[in-house]
Amino acid sequence: MTASPALVAPWRIGVDVGGTFTDMVLRDAAGAVRIFKSPSVPADPSEGVLGVLRLAAKQLDITLTALLRDCALFVHGSTVATNTILEKKGARVGMLTTEGFRDSLEIRRGIRENQWDHRAPFPQVLVPRYLRLPVRGRIGADGTELTPLSPEDVDAAARVFAEEGVESVAVCLFNAFLDGAHERAVGGQLAKAWNGKWVSLSSEVMPTMGEYERGSTAVVNAYVAPKVTSYLRALDEQLRQFGLPRSLLLLQSNGGAVSVDQVAARPVMLVLSGPAAGVGALKGCAAPGEKANLISMEIGGTSCDVMVMARGDVPVTDELTIDGYHLTTPSVEIHTVGAGGGTIAWVDDAGLLHAGPQGAGARPGPAAYGLGGENPTVTDAQLVLGRLRPGPLAGGAVTLDAELARKAIETKLAKPLGLSVEEAAAGVIRLLEQNLLHAVERLSIERGHNPATFTLVAAGGAGPMHGTAVARALGCRRALLPRAAGAFCAMGMLQSDVRQDYLQVFLADLDKVETAALEAGFAQLEARAREALARDGFGEAEIMIERQLDLRYDGQQWPVRAPLSASGFDAAGARQAFETEHQRLFGHIQPGGRIDITALRVVGRGRLDWTPPAARSPQTDTPQPRETRKVWIDPATGWLDVPIYDGTDLRPGCRLDGPLLVEERTTTAFVGPRDVLEVDERDDFLVHVGSAPPPHSNGEVPASSRAEGS
Amino acid sequence: MNLDPVTLALVQNRLDHISHQMGWVMTRTARSPIFSQSHDFSCFIADARGTLISQADGIPIHTGGGGFAVRAILRDFKDAIAPEDVFLLNDPYTAGGNHLPDWVITRPVFVGAKLVAFACNRAHQADIGGGAAGTYNSAATEIFHEGIRLPVLKLIEAGKVRDDLWRLLMLNTRLPEALDGDLRAMIGSTRIGAERLALLVEELGVDRADEFFEGVLDHADRRFQTCIDRLEQGVWKGEEPVDNDCFEPIDAKIAVTITVKDRRLVVDFTGTSPQVRGFKNSSIANSTSAVFMSLASFFEPDLPKNEGAFRSVEIRLPEGTLVNARMPAPMTMNTVFVAHEIIHAMWKALAQALPERASAGWSKAVHAVTAGLRDDGGRYVMYQWAGAPAGGGVEGRDGFHLIGHLITLGGLTLPNLETYEQLYPARFHRQELRCDTAGAGRFRGGAGCDYEVEIFTPADYAFRGEGAGAPSSFGVAGGRAGAGGEVVLTLSDGTRIQAPKYGVERHGPGTYRALSPGGGGYGDPKTRDPERVLRDVRDGIVSAECAEKNYAVAIAADGKSINKKRTNQLREETPWSTVAPSSSAP
Repeated sequence: MTASPALVAPWRIGVDVGGTFTDMVLRDAAGAVRIFKSPSVPADPSEGVLGVLRLAAKQLDITLTALLRDCALFVHGSTVATNTILEKKGARVGMLTTEGFRDSLEIRRGIRENQWDHRAPFPQVLVPRYLRLPVRGRIGADGTELTPLSPEDVDAAARVFAEEGVESVAVCLFNAFLDGAHERAVGGQLAKAWNGKWVSLSSEVMPTMGEYERGSTAVVNAYVAPKVTSYLRALDEQLRQFGLPRSLLLLQSNGGAVSVDQVAARPVMLVLSGPAAGVGALKGCAAPGEKANLISMEIGGTSCDVMVMARGDVPVTDELTIDGYHLTTPSVEIHTVGAGGGTIAWVDDAGLLHAGPQGAGARPGPAAYGLGGENPTVTDAQLVLGRLRPGPLAGGAVTLDAELARKAIETKLAKPLGLSVEEAAAGVIRLLEQNLLHAVERLSIERGHNPATFTLVAAGGAGPMHGTAVARALGCRRALLPRAAGAFCAMGMLQSDVRQDYLQVFLADLDKVETAALEAGFAQLEARAREALARDGFGEAEIMIERQLDLRYDGQQWPVRAPLSASGFDAAGARQAFETEHQRLFGHIQPGGRIDITALRVVGRGRLDWTPPAARSPQTDTPQPRETRKVWIDPATGWLDVPIYDGTDLRPGCRLDGPLLVEERTTTAFVGPRDVLEVDERDDFLVHVGSAPPPHSNGEVPASSRAEGS
Repeated sequence: MNLDPVTLALVQNRLDHISHQMGWVMTRTARSPIFSQSHDFSCFIADARGTLISQADGIPIHTGGGGFAVRAILRDFKDAIAPEDVFLLNDPYTAGGNHLPDWVITRPVFVGAKLVAFACNRAHQADIGGGAAGTYNSAATEIFHEGIRLPVLKLIEAGKVRDDLWRLLMLNTRLPEALDGDLRAMIGSTRIGAERLALLVEELGVDRADEFFEGVLDHADRRFQTCIDRLEQGVWKGEEPVDNDCFEPIDAKIAVTITVKDRRLVVDFTGTSPQVRGFKNSSIANSTSAVFMSLASFFEPDLPKNEGAFRSVEIRLPEGTLVNARMPAPMTMNTVFVAHEIIHAMWKALAQALPERASAGWSKAVHAVTAGLRDDGGRYVMYQWAGAPAGGGVEGRDGFHLIGHLITLGGLTLPNLETYEQLYPARFHRQELRCDTAGAGRFRGGAGCDYEVEIFTPADYAFRGEGAGAPSSFGVAGGRAGAGGEVVLTLSDGTRIQAPKYGVERHGPGTYRALSPGGGGYGDPKTRDPERVLRDVRDGIVSAECAEKNYAVAIAADGKSINKKRTNQLREETPWSTVAPSSSAP
């Protein structure tokens, strides 16, 4: 990106902190996009944020103050909440529960991630039993008070918390999702009787039904709050001092942004901050307003996040698991598998080849890094096959040594299996791509979609290397390889709205519900949404409100979410919306069956209109490759001389036949022999996927028909 | 055989993925919560000879048992198996079933005219007639009391459903809508499985696919042989008592002898008691699955669950005993009890051959099923699952507190009690861990729970209290059994009723209380890290008194620290105390 024109103020900045790199994307008022990448600083992520900002200022030849002063919107995806949990560095938490139910948190409903792995312990409980204290008082199943709250019990607990050095308290009382009055009274009394300041009430963090998950959510909130909130406030203050005119926004698990002030009480909403920005990024892959069908694979060093956007919408659920802890925060549906560039390939004690799920991480990383890693990884295989360039990577942060890669694959894979080094390396890639394919198939089957009718978006630094092959196996005709694949989520942050989700459990028969009570419930949630968005500076015209109902057939466990039309509630319309969704998800309906309402939901959005990237001038000449390199194609073809293009030479309208490689700043794209590369009007790489290779040469071909239920 | 190792790896993953896909479709499309919540089903693939080549999804007690069903189809229908046929069966005596409620749907897969594989699932139906709603009739003394028996049937012939047969099935259930929906889900899932299998075989080449399937089985065999290599050669015995026949106390047992020799295992149940009057008798398929599950859970979680993995295992099931009953013994309970007892006996024998992999026993369930009428006249059936039993300790981890049946290895998800209060006329009082119920050990067992719920209506209580009374877990390598369990019903007039182990009783409104038993401990408790003992004492899982008696750890007067001096004395001088954990309510 040399000789770029000067920036046009104001601009927006998105910063995504990852495990290895901190990515920054800047888009100015004219739509010009700049990408910067610098190493993350795990010990103090704000150092990484400031580091990438300083790097950007330097490369743009302006001061840090100038960079921040003209930044109208700063959206940040922070892993600080996630890492606090993963590294077990949260606060000492105490918990108050209704007498008789203090063990729900530790019983965990008996949920095992993998029941066969019964020797694996549960993750450590975040509040020890001796700090989970009972309170007398009971709310009944209809929300009325059965027994009054016992203030003595709260006082007694407060004394224990003080003695034990508790820093943060979670409160989850039985049936508090129906009425939070007892919890609020506990909170009020703690404020007087206890000297700590962090109190998380389950009815305020997320008032879902189910004492285990609601309590677990309140506990995780209490666990991360002191650290995360202090960190975010300090970072915000620092950026403001450098000149940022408006408080930074954080990206939440629901895919929308929120101000520091509003997330301060509920930092548990930030657990998916980062990957959830994939929603904004996917929106940027479609035309404005287009109801696009996209499946994204964001492939990083050790894992791949899969997300499905159907008719322009990515589902938000109440289910999120982080390191074995269950949360009911509104979260974008993401399926994660252990498959990435650093995935380790190995041969088991009975001679079978495997890829993953273990990864080599950033250190020691792939064998080719020369940092002591001896296990062959996917990156090593790509290097051996000529698809990655040996030498410095990511601005010299690491160097790829092809000889080390070759040696690792030869000794650990090729020799034990009796294969050539190329065959072994190609086998590793095929296994990885099979794993990616299975991950996409899982999410789409579970959600009742046919992936062949979607466009596959392959993002993350390693995505464009595998996107075309996986799309072919899925039966997709097109694969989209974003030019900024390696900064996909940071890009998404520039394209996210502010979003707040509100929920009220509401139990009624759909056909008999009192419309007035339903309207009153919605009106209350909507007022909260509008008030919160107004506090973040949104005017009436920029606020969008959506009402949804959770509905299920009588006796079913899982509700289906049905949007309500703008004209208001009508039972017949809601039934129809429910049946359509139920048919698609589960393959059947029960005509005339009793439908229960289980919850009212309001989604409030504050629109942040974004300038689409400026159109680049179209391709007029025939682009020339910068070089050719020998690249291994497949066992039938062997090695071919493959042209290597520099991504900046390819402009909208350009069409090239594969095989070819495109090198971009944050990624390398591989396009196979039967595929055609096109640069689309948004300047991204769109691959028209060719037919499958001849039979018997590959373990995967598209399926003729797909799971659409019985 | 010279197979490309990369293709073999791809085929292995792909077969497992197809099994998983069938499971995802089942979960998504089934009607009854037994599929979607309890996951009481399995999906599997057999080759053309009926050998199980993949079972990647499903409840552990179905492990490796599906081949019996497919081989019964091959035996009964021989050349009359044609494309677009679908078979149904459940009978454990004649059709390779495990017990009557688990119905098997099997779809043969053809490529051209050649039979290449079978796509199958086995799933617990909501109701199949018989003497009690919901498939479990504890009063049964013959299989005829337990529901409809199905030999191998062609349910769909050349793509056409046999409507007469379908109507017969619907007449023999109390819940035709659920059975209809669930059968359709099962059939739909095998259709998807069969399509994917046909594609795989076409890609591999119809003549070569078998070689790859054989390669997958060979690999599993080699992996299990590396497991056998870790066992000490010799003859190892295990026994587990069976103390009731569902009607009265008896003195019976499961006895197993495992011979480890020349990279083979012989698992012989000679010495096991004769079959019993009640419905705990096991079938060949179920006993085989229980053995496979014992072996697979003893070794690595990622062992392939196909029949190749158990090629080096020979199982001997004497006829007329608890593990291989003669017709017409009832057997619906067998997937839980005596499967639990078979696994315990197996684990006890294996523990001697490889002590560091030993697992202490899991306690047995005491939960009842309560059924009655709501105010609006609607019928409800409430499973008191949330008072679940506990797991046993293993090297490196304590047993799980109330976790559920051993035969699921904890795979059952317990309900939220708030949700249950919305569904049933009931109010919960308590679901708390019981002090001093966890079997002592270096890694102690899990604690049982104290579960109490008030039921507002008169109701039928179907008791299943196998874990009531004497301790039902066992300790290993010096660890101790956990405490026993108890079930008590207190009626609104104050009458206290001690629940029987099995039986259905009708009672008026009252309070149901289940004290679930504790899991067994692993290793000598005196070697448990004193800091862990302190934490248990602070948590109220172990009393200070038991810390001293069982663990030789003295807790200081403040209750928050260890009296180091006295602990050192206790650990050096005090001999092992034989004080058993209390089995009464805290």
